[in-house]
Amino acid sequence: MLNKKNKSLWGERKPLKSSYDAVIVGGGLHGLATAYFLARDHGIKDVAIIEKNYIGFGGAGRNTAIVRANQRTQENVPLYNEALKLWPVLTKELNFNLMFNNCGNLNLMHSEAAMKAARMNVSTAQFLGVESHLLDAKQLKEMEPAINVSEDITYPIHGAMYHPPGGIVRHDAVVWGLAKGAAEYGAEIHQDTEVTAINTEKGRIASVDTTRGKINTSKVLVAAGGYSSAVINRMLGIRLPISALTIQAMVTQPIKPLFDHVISSGAYHVYCNQTLKGEIATGAHMDDWPNYTTQTTAHYIKHQAEALTQFLPCLKGLKFMRIWGGLADMTPDMAPIMDGNDQVEGFFMDCGWGYFGFKSCSSTGKYMAEFMATDEYPDILKPFTMRRFEQHRLMGETAALVNYSADN
Amino acid sequence: MMNRLKNLPTLRVNTSEKVSVTYRGKQYEGFKGDTVASLLYANGIRIFGRSLKYHRPRGLYSLDGECSNTCMQIDDIPNERAENIPARDGMNIREQNVKGSAEKDMMGFIDKLDWAMPAGFYYHTMHRPAKMWPVAMKQIRKAAGLGTLNQNFNRHERFDEIFPKTEVCVIGGGPAGMAAALEAADKGVRVILLESRPWLGGFYEYRTSVDESGNFLYSKARTLAEKVEAHPDIRVFKHTFMVGAYNNNLITAFQRGGETESFHERYIEIRAQSVVVATGCIERPLIFENNERPGVMQAGCAHRLCRTYGILPGKAAVFSIGHDTGLEAAVDLFDMGLKIACIADLREDGQDPELLEKVKGRKIPYYPGRVATEALGKKRVTGVKVGTIDGTVEETYTCDLVVASAGFTPVTGPITINQGKLKFDEHTGFFLPSVLPDKTHVAGRINGLGNPASIEASGKLAGLRAAAECGKDLTGEIDEAQGELNDLPGPQRGSKFVTGPVSGRKSYICFDEDTTIKNIKQAIRKGFDVPELIKRYTSAGTGPGQGGIPGHNLPLFTAKFKAEENEKIRPTNQRPPLVPLFLSTYAGTNHDMAKRTPMHDRQKKDGGIFRRLGVWRRARYFSNDFSCRKEIENVRNNVGILDGSTLGKFRIHGPDALKALQRVYISNMEKVKQGRVKYTAMCNDDGCVIDDGVITKLAENDYFFTTSTGRAGSTVEWIRYHTRFDGWDFNLVNLTDALGVINLSGPNSRKVIEKVTDQDISDQALPFSGVKEYTISDDIPVTVMRLGFVGELSYELHVPSSYMESAWDLLLEAGKEFHIKNFGVEAQNVLRMEKGHVILGQESEQRTNLTDINMGFLWYRKKKEAKTVGNVALEQTVNDTGRLKLVGIKMKDPSRAPGDGCVIVDDTRVRGYVCTIRKSFSVEGVIGMALVEQPLAKNGTTVFVYEDECKGNLSEAQVVPMPFYDPEGKRMKA
Repeated sequence: MLNKKNKSLWGERKPLKSSYDAVIVGGGLHGLATAYFLARDHGIKDVAIIEKNYIGFGGAGRNTAIVRANQRTQENVPLYNEALKLWPVLTKELNFNLMFNNCGNLNLMHSEAAMKAARMNVSTAQFLGVESHLLDAKQLKEMEPAINVSEDITYPIHGAMYHPPGGIVRHDAVVWGLAKGAAEYGAEIHQDTEVTAINTEKGRIASVDTTRGKINTSKVLVAAGGYSSAVINRMLGIRLPISALTIQAMVTQPIKPLFDHVISSGAYHVYCNQTLKGEIATGAHMDDWPNYTTQTTAHYIKHQAEALTQFLPCLKGLKFMRIWGGLADMTPDMAPIMDGNDQVEGFFMDCGWGYFGFKSCSSTGKYMAEFMATDEYPDILKPFTMRRFEQHRLMGETAALVNYSADN
Repeated sequence: MMNRLKNLPTLRVNTSEKVSVTYRGKQYEGFKGDTVASLLYANGIRIFGRSLKYHRPRGLYSLDGECSNTCMQIDDIPNERAENIPARDGMNIREQNVKGSAEKDMMGFIDKLDWAMPAGFYYHTMHRPAKMWPVAMKQIRKAAGLGTLNQNFNRHERFDEIFPKTEVCVIGGGPAGMAAALEAADKGVRVILLESRPWLGGFYEYRTSVDESGNFLYSKARTLAEKVEAHPDIRVFKHTFMVGAYNNNLITAFQRGGETESFHERYIEIRAQSVVVATGCIERPLIFENNERPGVMQAGCAHRLCRTYGILPGKAAVFSIGHDTGLEAAVDLFDMGLKIACIADLREDGQDPELLEKVKGRKIPYYPGRVATEALGKKRVTGVKVGTIDGTVEETYTCDLVVASAGFTPVTGPITINQGKLKFDEHTGFFLPSVLPDKTHVAGRINGLGNPASIEASGKLAGLRAAAECGKDLTGEIDEAQGELNDLPGPQRGSKFVTGPVSGRKSYICFDEDTTIKNIKQAIRKGFDVPELIKRYTSAGTGPGQGGIPGHNLPLFTAKFKAEENEKIRPTNQRPPLVPLFLSTYAGTNHDMAKRTPMHDRQKKDGGIFRRLGVWRRARYFSNDFSCRKEIENVRNNVGILDGSTLGKFRIHGPDALKALQRVYISNMEKVKQGRVKYTAMCNDDGCVIDDGVITKLAENDYFFTTSTGRAGSTVEWIRYHTRFDGWDFNLVNLTDALGVINLSGPNSRKVIEKVTDQDISDQALPFSGVKEYTISDDIPVTVMRLGFVGELSYELHVPSSYMESAWDLLLEAGKEFHIKNFGVEAQNVLRMEKGHVILGQESEQRTNLTDINMGFLWYRKKKEAKTVGNVALEQTVNDTGRLKLVGIKMKDPSRAPGDGCVIVDDTRVRGYVCTIRKSFSVEGVIGMALVEQPLAKNGTTVFVYEDECKGNLSEAQVVPMPFYDPEGKRMKA
């Protein structure tokens, strides 16, 4: 039944054409999603996705697959909420099981101030029609008995933000499903191919040079994850307020079901969930300094163990099996930059996602496709303009003042 | 217990001391020195558990923990590798992932359903219809995972951690590693040697063959080990697993505690100047149908079972091997009593002629160019098919043991995880290091060396090189050692051979994830055509053993299947920890590194309820009434005392001190005078307030200032950063921990101070915003500032930390008659809110700048030349509309305060949020501070509060002027 389909999900490797209607730099989630929606919603199928390594090489394959829509501000919530609703839709459309596990998210709160911050998120979510609740420590314990709510840990737990519509999605499946979907419409995925230049003529996009030849095109989207700001700066001279930092994640050995929710904690800098395979996947904190190394550090895995064994003491009986690093492209307000047709006509960018790039990819792809196809900036994307930084209008996605300037 | 071989010189079990464990409720005996796996094997247990997906029976295979075959539940802990865990009396052992028992697993039928589960079948099935997925998912979750962990599990053994420094760290205590360690240590550098087994010796340790001088390898191993352990400059860590290697040669490892050690496990983090990687090789599995059936094992496993543990691994065996070590094992095991039906050697030529002679002399049938193609037997091996590599001849043998091994895999993890690079090498068939990490050397079998003399010579050379990197001049000796190595036999020939002529349906390339050769082919055809993608799609190499079994074979097989040239063969990535490591071991002693103020214990005794605040612990409440009514009223009516020691305290002095202050502070710092304190703030480049505090001038170009608690740690860096191009001359001293702060607030506060000092503290002598040095009780020097954060007559006393307790006690004693009482951070929070004073982070955020939170009065715009941080942004946003503004609000309903953080909304949009709101004890009603969009910020505006769970029932509030309490400020200026 399945063997007859034993051919490449995204087409065989083929030669590069000399021109495409649009070129997408980066075979990650955002690039693939945009290609898919360009074809699905706008009939633009003559698209080349240029990927330096293999599809899903970057953040797409390195994230911890958490999805949720309990962001802080009303500019952000709708985008993530739509993404959340798209998982079942895409599973069906792509005929590829994205394995959405709607297990719900628990965000632990360790102080009065954190409870206040959580109340703001919860109230915003409820007002916008997204389910989210505050729990006290007792309710939390009932929901997830493995959690230690005693006072004798570094950051005792005051309560939690509970977000039932969230959960986890198999991240690799999203990459492959979107690649398959885009390819079925006719988009071409060129792996092992690197973009070396983006050429403009009279302020318009003219062509793209790659390691396999030149492509004439009038539209380019850079969605190269952590490498976007470097690509955009090097090839178009546009400086973005983005710092790339290495962020790490790890998994334990697999065990039978232990807990059911995505559990995260700001104070401990930890989030964790049990994957369908039974591993506890966990991560969060990133290096304090910009770098592209994707190297893991001795102290982080130790920190993670110290933190997890405090609020989930049963994990003392588990072993870490693998740690890896990826890039988080951080903006000063921890919200992305989705912009286009500004500095150069026909040039679009979708970057600066930090560690939110996975959960948003589907809806972002949809609206970036609309933007590229119609040249009209969709309202939902407008708050994410790059110009907000010159206007000192940060988005407030995080309350704290963060300092990820390119110099630090 | 079955017959064990005794009196072997290589044995590592003490046959005179018994150990007894429970497996499935039954007692089994073994010897001291047995691992759980060897003990069970000696008792006839062959099936240790069932595989993840197909519930296939699994048994001993590598003896080095390279796969999950022997992962068992030991006491309450899942996924313990029985082959690495020393057996201890009373252990309770169970098999994992079975319904029934390992022998009779009711889920065993799944093995027949593999046709329905091709590579990645989850992705292609179970989502149609959509309703099926949540149901299927539950079943998948139950089926996945190996062992079981109880939600209430906890453990209390001692987990230690140490952080030693050394000059040379040698990873691997085999012949090469020991030679390297001895050589380096003899040159006078300190050496740490890590060995994963409980003894030194590595690849020599169990072997009875001889080197060129006729010494048994095992006895050589012991001689070397004695020397190493006796060497004063070598610190040996045995039973220690290297797990990580990082920049600048930071090596992490963990050690299992023996019965006499004080720790159960300990985390070891070593900072080494140079590193020698002498980790040797593991065997590369030979893949054929049912290649993981219990009874199939690697040559080293069979050999070590016999030599180390005294267990003859079977009665009749077939060997299918691809290297001389396999022949050596066959000869030795034959001599120990194993019947050998035949040896199939996948090599046509290149064998050691001496070994061939020995095989011949023992009349063991020997077939070069042949290979096992299928193991027979349902639950354990009963026979094996062996054929020629071209598939033309196939014969079946009856046996209970198949010793199978295609070749070797060098253990290069310690190199690649530290950014080393590998390149495929045709001659050895290995991925050999092409780029080594800085100051890292390799020695021994990892290079493909097989000859004992070569192995030791390479160890010696690596030891010399490592010592040279620690500053020893050894050029001549290195050249000599290099010459010596060059004259010895080089790397042995290996092959790329992975599998003979098989269908691949039951040929397992990864045991942990039940990935077959057929699955790999399916994945490649589906477009997953590079090893990293194959790994993700088929899960091969992502199980408990990580890349141990498939790590080398997967890229070899992929290249063969795709007919790629050698240059294109890339290894898959390895990741730390190289050996799975308990979270409890990583966590170690898990210190909580909080800071305590000098008054911590005193406040605790007085009933303080503490909260973590950044690096500090602070008393937030002094009773279980979290509204803090009593504390608040006592400050308003009498006098309260608060420990403010966490405030950041700094001195800045030097010729350019004022310039630096003008750069970072938003006000005109020329106006800061001696004897006066000035309240001011620092902004970031967006004009957002990052810090506020007071500053006073001590002398010309000499200032003292305070910062908020949270900023104390980054203030020096902030000021240095923002003056980094100016070359200014100033010094910054962080006095945060040197000084404590006592805050006395309330109408009686002056009276309290009057009682402890002879100096004049009247309003004339120390008016509002004044600062003056006092001596209390004739002895204690105190800087007293008169401030008004909480809106009452209030003093901030900066006291040397060592005097804090005395000063505190004196004030408490003096204040008794004036009803002095502790108040905590929450009471202070309410008191200052009533006064309209801002706490940064509570009434400010990323979207608000200085003027948005009503602190524009601090901004001195006329010092452009100072390039004040944030000035440009403030100028640019001065006419900006639609920003959030800080306002006072009063709820229409005076009976109940909504929670902090509720949002303010109109019909469709969120328009702001409530920062802090309380039912006030000082003034009428429910009052608070909120950030709202500018159009709503006008006094008198009605706003609507959306509280969580309000179900759309909004509460009404009105924007009102601040401060709520004592608007004229008479009380604090009294």
